[in-house]
Amino acid sequence: MPNTGKSTFFNRLTGSASRVANWPGVTVDLLSARVVLGGDAVEVVDLPGIYDLHGFSDDEQVVRSFLENNPIDAIGVILNATQLDHQLPLALQICKLGIRPVLLVNMIDEADQLGVRIDAGALSADIGCPVVLLSARHGTGFADARDAITGELRDARPVSLNALRENLHADDELVQHAEALISKSVSAPSKLVRKMTERIDHVLLHPVLGLPLFFLAMFLVFQAVYTFGAPLQDGVAYVLDVFRGWTLEPLETVLPSGLYGFLVDGLYDGIGTVASFIPVIILFFFLMAIVEDSGYLARAAFLTDSLMARLGLDGRGFVMILMGFGCNVPALMGTRVMRSRALRLLSMLVIPFSLCSARLQVYLFITTALFTASQAPWVLFFMYLASFSAAFLTALVFGRRLKSDEPFVLELPPYRQPVLKQVLLRGWHEISHFLRRASTFIISGVVMVWLLTHFPTGSTPGGAGTYASMLGQWMKPALDPIGISADMSVILLFGFVAKEIVIGALVAMTGLDGSALSGYLATQMDTIQAISFMLFVLLYTPCLSTLATQLSESRSVKFASISLAWSLGLAWAVSFSFYQGARLLGY
Amino acid sequence: MKNIDNLSSLRKGQTALITGIHAPDSTRQRLQSMGLRTGREAEVIRRPRHGPMQIRIGSMNLIMRRCDAARVIISTQQ
Repeated sequence: MPNTGKSTFFNRLTGSASRVANWPGVTVDLLSARVVLGGDAVEVVDLPGIYDLHGFSDDEQVVRSFLENNPIDAIGVILNATQLDHQLPLALQICKLGIRPVLLVNMIDEADQLGVRIDAGALSADIGCPVVLLSARHGTGFADARDAITGELRDARPVSLNALRENLHADDELVQHAEALISKSVSAPSKLVRKMTERIDHVLLHPVLGLPLFFLAMFLVFQAVYTFGAPLQDGVAYVLDVFRGWTLEPLETVLPSGLYGFLVDGLYDGIGTVASFIPVIILFFFLMAIVEDSGYLARAAFLTDSLMARLGLDGRGFVMILMGFGCNVPALMGTRVMRSRALRLLSMLVIPFSLCSARLQVYLFITTALFTASQAPWVLFFMYLASFSAAFLTALVFGRRLKSDEPFVLELPPYRQPVLKQVLLRGWHEISHFLRRASTFIISGVVMVWLLTHFPTGSTPGGAGTYASMLGQWMKPALDPIGISADMSVILLFGFVAKEIVIGALVAMTGLDGSALSGYLATQMDTIQAISFMLFVLLYTPCLSTLATQLSESRSVKFASISLAWSLGLAWAVSFSFYQGARLLGY
Repeated sequence: MKNIDNLSSLRKGQTALITGIHAPDSTRQRLQSMGLRTGREAEVIRRPRHGPMQIRIGSMNLIMRRCDAARVIISTQQ
């Protein structure tokens, strides 16, 4: 079930050792981890949260085909203790499959506060499977839950869902059964009033103030990233520089100069410059995790739905765009909750225009190098505006062809205080994600750029005659009209793979870093060219991973190609109008 | 007296009994799995001039568009 703390429980059970993996019969990646339970190594898989086993959304299909194609030893069903009346039918559906699930009744702390009393023993006796009350957030009852799952581990077998399909019409019976169970073993106040949540919503969902407050909150998040991130970034850059001075520079006399140039000026500086942005990115993800954990995102969907409806999207689409500001890939995966294919495709077409954290790196670097400290935040703000505008324009253009009639119904969870451990764990996932990318894309990208800009032998490094400048000359007819120099167009070629490479590639190409690199950048572009370059970087394509995700999630080469062609075309058109327009006006 | 109407016509603070859902199978399935089932009581918590409305059913708070709420048939005791 969504909003039951499933991820919290999964994280607590598996620690930080989870990984993404493929499963038979399931076209999407699921998070899984190996843990030791009762002396055996057990593979734990995090299935998507669903309301109903025989629904029509992709998430529900994922759960169904996973159960059909993968033998399972035990299944834990996580329910929200404060909403058992809504959630017990799903548990009963699973019982009907002939599996004995372990019912993990979560958020028991919240239920306590609200005066909900659950008799786990009676429930367990009636329903015929173990029932554990716990709080995954605070850890109460967690050991019992672990034991109960361990106790249920036995011979693995796949499940036949035919029985369930035949019993589709017996749904009402299940609901009655669930109601009977609840009246026997759960006592709750007739009306669950969450005073705190209602008081906060009174302000945050205010008909007039709600939307301005939402934008203020978002502005504060980005402001905080900028204010606290910059000093951290300088700190990392300083540490890397000190390390370079102490341990790497003495090597200059030992190593052949070509190798030293490659290793230190190319690889170390390239990766180091990228790494100095890690604190900003971590900070960004921490703050997003807090917003996500608090329950505010559902409010954002509520506040923005009427605007999004006019664009053929819905409030969830807006939330996905927001998530895309962190990274486009999980945001694309988040659209799985949508049932209508048209709505999903339209959302997936729009999300890649979200100014993700990797693009933010490039902008932080360029704005710091070419704009004054008072101009820089406004340039950044302008880029976020451009990001939203591109998304809205795309929805308007394609919305007519991708019409959906999916009902927009969303649960509004109560506000919850974010738990530090969850937020930290989330941050750790991002760091490890970055390191994985660093070890593949960024290193190979930086190496490629270094080779292209230093060969064939005899050419001036980074200058005329290198392979890079040949490539640049070749792309010149397309990129000259939008004010992008030949050198920068080579960088764009690598930015296509991942935006994290852009800055590292600049370092590898020029052999410069720090303020020298800023100086070099100023010779490559003036402020108008810089904005044109940034607009192009924003729109032309997010990265190879995003493209691959679009392909795998849509299962349509046509869709991914249209998306790519549209972004490339839009990027060129926007940069061209901006650059030529600004020049015409005399800037 | 009993009044038959749909959920979208309720005003803020009003409560009604759900008596049915008038929608294609897949939509009805969806609404039911979110707790909008016959026999349940629904209360309108928020109904802004534009945008979706907030409904409370038992322990669950939902937001839904008016056009979807219009598919939920209710009866109010007056």
